[in-house]
Amino acid sequence: MVETCGTRCYLNRMSKSKQEDNAMSFGRLTKLALLALLVIAALPLAAQDDQINMTMWVRTISFQTQALVDEWNANNDSQIELTVIPSGEFVTKMGAAIAAGEPPDIASIDLIYTPAFSSAGQLVDITEWVRALPYADDLTPAHMELGMYEGRNYAVPTAVDGSFIIYNVDLFEQAGLDPDNPPSTWGEMLDAMRAIDALGDDIYGYWYSLGCAGCNAFTFLPFIWASGGDVLSDDYSEATITSDPIVRESLEFYNAIWEEGLVPEGASIDNGSNFTNAFAGGNIGMAGTGNFSLSRYKNEFPDIHFDLFHIPGKDGGTASFGGGDVIAIPAGTEHAEEAWRFIEWTLTEGPQIDIYAANGQIPVRLSLADNEYSREDPRFVTSGSALSVGHTPYTVVYNDLFNDPNGPWLEMLQVGILDGDIDGALELGQERFTQIMEG
Amino acid sequence: MIRQAAVWNLSWEQRRKLTGFLFVLPTVAFVTIFFIVPLGLTFFISLHDWPLFGDRAYIGFSNYSELAADRQYVKSLNFTFRYTLLITPPIFILGFILASLVRRKIRFVGIFRTIFFMPVVIGLGVSSLLWVWLLDDRVGIFNKILLDLNLVPKAQLFLGRPNTAMNVIILSVVWKTVGFTMILLLAGLQAISDELYESAEVDGAGYFKKLFYITLPLMRRTIALALVISVIGSVLAFDQFYIMTRGGPRNSTISIVYWIFNNSFTYFKMGYGAAMSIVLLGILVALTGAQLYILREKD
Repeated sequence: MVETCGTRCYLNRMSKSKQEDNAMSFGRLTKLALLALLVIAALPLAAQDDQINMTMWVRTISFQTQALVDEWNANNDSQIELTVIPSGEFVTKMGAAIAAGEPPDIASIDLIYTPAFSSAGQLVDITEWVRALPYADDLTPAHMELGMYEGRNYAVPTAVDGSFIIYNVDLFEQAGLDPDNPPSTWGEMLDAMRAIDALGDDIYGYWYSLGCAGCNAFTFLPFIWASGGDVLSDDYSEATITSDPIVRESLEFYNAIWEEGLVPEGASIDNGSNFTNAFAGGNIGMAGTGNFSLSRYKNEFPDIHFDLFHIPGKDGGTASFGGGDVIAIPAGTEHAEEAWRFIEWTLTEGPQIDIYAANGQIPVRLSLADNEYSREDPRFVTSGSALSVGHTPYTVVYNDLFNDPNGPWLEMLQVGILDGDIDGALELGQERFTQIMEG
Repeated sequence: MIRQAAVWNLSWEQRRKLTGFLFVLPTVAFVTIFFIVPLGLTFFISLHDWPLFGDRAYIGFSNYSELAADRQYVKSLNFTFRYTLLITPPIFILGFILASLVRRKIRFVGIFRTIFFMPVVIGLGVSSLLWVWLLDDRVGIFNKILLDLNLVPKAQLFLGRPNTAMNVIILSVVWKTVGFTMILLLAGLQAISDELYESAEVDGAGYFKKLFYITLPLMRRTIALALVISVIGSVLAFDQFYIMTRGGPRNSTISIVYWIFNNSFTYFKMGYGAAMSIVLLGILVALTGAQLYILREKD
């Protein structure tokens, strides 16, 4: 007998059948999910036996860290996961991670912050490992100095850069200057700027970004150092702004550039966004810069013929600001030895030449600055050799003194150079430097 | 079952109170988690020497006593009050004029309301970047117009001098925020019955008499709200100075929040930054209280 079934009955049957199906599907799914969970849970356990997974933090800079990590991961059992942190947030995030007990295993730190980290006990002491390196003395001295605290090593260089002056060869020639003999004193620089400035209303002898504190630490401090002066005492314990006559003379030098209109007026408020862009315009004779900008000028502005010279002192001599990053092992990591194995590998000749030099980056070992890649373009030899006269202030309050856009360094420069109040600038700088250094 | 019985055993009044409590509970929880607890933590931090790295130490009220000797703190407070005094009238007056213009339901009024309100939905950071570009001496449209009209001999560095920097920042923030004040005041204007104006007109009242005897008195609460929001926003100003001038030129545009930010996240003096924040909170409470007292309904 065929059972009759109306619409409602049919829908009920359908609904019942669907529920049974769902119940079955749910049961199967649950089993499958449990199985998957077991497999997933077992994977790391199995992996933990023979593989170390490390984390590495790096700030947003254009160095070849990713290439280094890729090469390491391809050839080693231990694996590194690279995390890029915005430069402005790096120190805060590192501090928070260390405080939370979850630091990265390896960190590439802006070298100026290293004393702050090492003095607070936030980095692993790597002195014995560093001493065992046969080429320890060959590593860039400014970075090694900043990586030390109370005679112990806490970091080694990983990304190095030194400041120098870039100049426009075509403008030099048009102004009747010899591009093969660039200026070697402040007086010669001023003469060259005046000659270039005279070429036209839109052509200027020089560029500095006077709204950017860090840019001027990088490019203006070497003028003082090359002349035998400094804004800090030899032991970095006090400010020497009013007592060192070279500081005054260097301010007068930069003030003359401003007063004579040898820089565009916009330089007075540039916060660094035009630090490298300005020279790319082709109407600037000279500018302070670093190795980080060379590849860009070469590749993106092939029509600009440029060359480099080291930052000169008042009557000769040269100096450079040693910038870039050091690499360190944050305290609290469980993989310090494996982290050092990676760091040590980055310092060996293979990666230094095949990854660093091949990508236009300066090797961190001085003896490797002259290599097959840099010899293809002698300008890279000049930029690399700047680090041999490289220097970096060693102070735990570097950021407060030099890098802060509202700090004493930039205010002193603006008052002295733009306002022409040299005495006021020196007094202000001395007072605020002392105040910050005394805590 | 027991709980259900317990609820049903309550009196009507008790149940009414419980219902009321349950209604406000989400807000109480929200305020507790996102205001009371952070405020307590901030006060706790303010009693410590609290660096980013290393050990922290209890120092009592030393951070507070340091404030008086901090010249930049006093300078930043003065700057912030001057900025607030300068920016509040244009925001309010322009907001009132715009609200009056778009009050009537006439053709295309919706389009104008949208246009006036549009800058409000842009983030202050984005609008500040936009204005930096507009004011640029090489590619900015303002300099282009001024030069083409021969109003200036050469491109102006608007953000390069303390006074002009302050003026153009005020201009940018008024453009950005006036739409919000307009909407607040529009709501107040629309709440006033047309019959009142008609009666006043019959009695021979002109525009200003209607404005001063009807509109403004009846908008007292709305005006108080608009002013309180505007003043709080101005005292807490940060983004525009951080992005447009970085506190320059010569540290002349460092607002109080900017100084708190610098101490907390540039110099990593968390305790000191927290102490300044607590004092600023006190100042804001006093300012808001004073405004509400002055603009209270006088029955």
